[in-house]
Amino acid sequence: MMTSSPAALALAALLLPAAAFLIIGVLPPLRRSGRPAAWFSIACTAAAFVSAILAWRATRGLAQPIHAVWSWLSGAHGPFATVGVLVDAQSTSMLLLVTLVALLVQVYSTCYLSDEPAPALGRYYALQSLFAFSMMGVVLAPTLLQLFICWELVGVCSCLLIGFWYRKPEAARAALKAFWTTKAGDVGLLIGIVLLHRATGTFDLVELRQLAAAGQIPLAGLSIITFCVYLGAAGKSAQFPLHVWLPDAMEGPTPVSALIHAATMVTAGVYLLTRMEWLFALTPQVMAIVAWNGALTALLAAILACVQTDIKRVLAYSTVSQLGYMMAAIGAGYAGAGFFHLLTHGIFKALLFLGAGAVIHAVGSNDVADMGRLARRMPQTAVVFLVGTLSLAGVPLFAGFVSKEEVLGAVWAGGFAVPFFGLLLAAFLTAFYMFRVVFLAFFGHRPTEADTVLVGHGQTQTNTVLIGRRQAQATMDPGQSHDLSHNVGHGVTHAHDAPFVMTGPLWVLAMIAMAIGIYFTIRAPEAEFHAPGWVTPSAIAVALSGIALAWLTYQKRAISADALATAFAPIRRAAIAKFWLDDIYLAIYRSVLLTFSRAIGWTDRYLVDGVLNVVSAWTLDAGDRLRRMQTGKVQDYVWAVGLGLLALMAWIGVAW
Amino acid sequence: MGLQAYLTLAAIVFCLGLFGTVTRRNTVGILLGIELMLNAVNINFVAFSRFRGIETGMVFTLFAICITVAEVALGLAIVILLFRTRRSAMADHIDWLKG
Amino acid sequence: MTLGIVAFWAFAVILVGAGLAVVIGKNLFHSVLWLALALIATAGIFLTLDAEFIAAVQVLLYAGGVVTVVVFAIVVTERLVGERLSHTSRHIVAGAVVSGGLLALLVRALSQAHLDMARPALSGDLTRQIGTSLLTQFALPFELLAVLLVVGLLGASYFARPEE
Repeated sequence: MMTSSPAALALAALLLPAAAFLIIGVLPPLRRSGRPAAWFSIACTAAAFVSAILAWRATRGLAQPIHAVWSWLSGAHGPFATVGVLVDAQSTSMLLLVTLVALLVQVYSTCYLSDEPAPALGRYYALQSLFAFSMMGVVLAPTLLQLFICWELVGVCSCLLIGFWYRKPEAARAALKAFWTTKAGDVGLLIGIVLLHRATGTFDLVELRQLAAAGQIPLAGLSIITFCVYLGAAGKSAQFPLHVWLPDAMEGPTPVSALIHAATMVTAGVYLLTRMEWLFALTPQVMAIVAWNGALTALLAAILACVQTDIKRVLAYSTVSQLGYMMAAIGAGYAGAGFFHLLTHGIFKALLFLGAGAVIHAVGSNDVADMGRLARRMPQTAVVFLVGTLSLAGVPLFAGFVSKEEVLGAVWAGGFAVPFFGLLLAAFLTAFYMFRVVFLAFFGHRPTEADTVLVGHGQTQTNTVLIGRRQAQATMDPGQSHDLSHNVGHGVTHAHDAPFVMTGPLWVLAMIAMAIGIYFTIRAPEAEFHAPGWVTPSAIAVALSGIALAWLTYQKRAISADALATAFAPIRRAAIAKFWLDDIYLAIYRSVLLTFSRAIGWTDRYLVDGVLNVVSAWTLDAGDRLRRMQTGKVQDYVWAVGLGLLALMAWIGVAW
Repeated sequence: MGLQAYLTLAAIVFCLGLFGTVTRRNTVGILLGIELMLNAVNINFVAFSRFRGIETGMVFTLFAICITVAEVALGLAIVILLFRTRRSAMADHIDWLKG
Repeated sequence: MTLGIVAFWAFAVILVGAGLAVVIGKNLFHSVLWLALALIATAGIFLTLDAEFIAAVQVLLYAGGVVTVVVFAIVVTERLVGERLSHTSRHIVAGAVVSGGLLALLVRALSQAHLDMARPALSGDLTRQIGTSLLTQFALPFELLAVLLVVGLLGASYFARPEE
């Protein structure tokens, strides 16, 4: 039966959001109506989610992946490129994650973005549907070509959604930054795909895998190919040094951050590497790069997260950090562990973002300095946020614990000792910075400015100024409302739990996070590797000590935050400056690109235009001179006839 | 004398006429140059006619002479008209052919 | 034949000399008179070619008619302008180069051509033959010529009509 076949179900899940996007996009009345468009999109996504569940159930225990392709570009020897779906356990579980988070985020957004004008809401849902389609296209792609097309579509959607409030200059700039930074990696991916096609003659993942298994892929130059593919993955999955776009992407609406910049899109790079692990396995050097860089990213991002006061930025850096974990596991050779962490992280990070969104929605500020004792006023949000935080910190019985422990075990088993300890340190920092946020925002008294955070005065002041400016912006432009402006002034005192439309998705995610955690804590997944027994206790110990430090510093105030700041002054300074990466990029941009552009501009203005001007001036001048030949006097024409006769005779004379 | 001598003579006269036509400032002078050129052509006609023993060339000479007369009459009429309108007979001053 | 040769050379020298005087003379009136001489010398050349009728027509129509008309025109226009007509040359070098070059090429071509044929004996009265072909073979052009002359004269008198 066709309907029950996993391929058809996956195809339905893929095409439903595409249909939603096309219909919302093609029918302007529907798009401008806002709320109906939203419910239409949600209905399609819900149907896609159901299809994804069915497809997932159908592929469990499936030995062979289902490979349904149609010829797209015909070539001399069979089809040059095909499109279709590649359905296996991996892709359907990813499909499940994508549709689940997309559905919850879309439901959540109806409340979160309720202040938006109707046409903007319609645009938002059209883009959400397009994003869901593109992401599922990446997930289900049977060929690298289709994957790349959807990959780029995902990037476009991400850019458009980050820039959803495009009148806000920061958002517009962040959108462009995200686009260009990921594009830098995507160029690598494209080159890698083309090189791989040249080496093997196929884009098809299944065929490639068979070739790899048979050892028929030429090893010469394969490192370059895998490294190029890794570049694309690093751009999308925000690996050092291409991670700079992700924190800035938080300028977008919080549900977008939850869906795209936490749960799904950023994991596309990890997913791609998981999909192609058999190819990467052939190039151990590149695998080592992946592992080391993953661990480095995890550690650096964790350090950066410690000095952030913006709750979304803390989460963004933690996302970067967790992506580093996944990459490290893949680099260590155990893609399964990385993929597992991807799935659990998708759940609890979406939960955290949506919870943060609820807080921001209530308080009207991103800054933890403006929060405090929210647990009393927003109990539901506090509980689910705590669940997410415990998951992220890696506390037993929560989703993140199992997967993070797997990742650590995988890295150790892969023989990467230094990255392992880096990741362990990052795990400690993760617990610390997450609970810092929890204590500052949900517990404790409302902090005074002096002991706010590790950051100190300067940053707080700039934030206050920033909020003041946004407030002014909001009053000046009443049609435009966003995250920060529409509730500014409410403050902590008037904060309350969000309506069910928003808390519902939070509870769903929290339940799933708990369920996964409990299920796998009781029934540990059979590991592909043998991790030493001390890994699990040390991971737990590290997480708990991080929590303890945060508790002592921000709740009990037994340890002064300022003292901590002084103790780690150099690191703190570097972290506040984001390790000067943005400055370096800016300097490179200024020195290389702008100089180059200026040179091009000069060439265009003076050389190209100059040549044209000279030629045109010559033409004019020559015309002016030749014009004088036409005297209008009969005698001169007679003379010219004589000259012509002379020339003719001379010619005939020579010819004779 | 051979045909060559006549043709050479005609060539000389023709080139003299051309020279006059091109260089003269006065429109009447230009007409005189044209007359010389026509005359050279007539010499050629008659010479060829005689040396080939065909009288057709001579008939054409007659025609040419008659047409020349008509041409001179018209040309002089135009010259007088120019005098009237421009108060000048200088070909230099007549550049109506210029667009 | 010697008389013929002498006559040719004499007429040729007169013709070229007179032609030269026509194109380089400073006096328009004198140029016209030199043209008359050149036309008469041409008639002499025609005589050396046994074309008495053409020579006669040349003298009567051309030298007589044309020259008279030109002299009239000069007198009339000088009367109109009220001053002597200037008769100068322009672009002498350019004109000399073109006409001299053309002459050189023509002479070169003529010297290389094989034209030295002897003139055939006359087969009867040339004038009679001309008359015959004029009124038989060329009757239509002959009539058209008459029309042309009439049109030319009418046009000329229209152009030269007195001012209103």
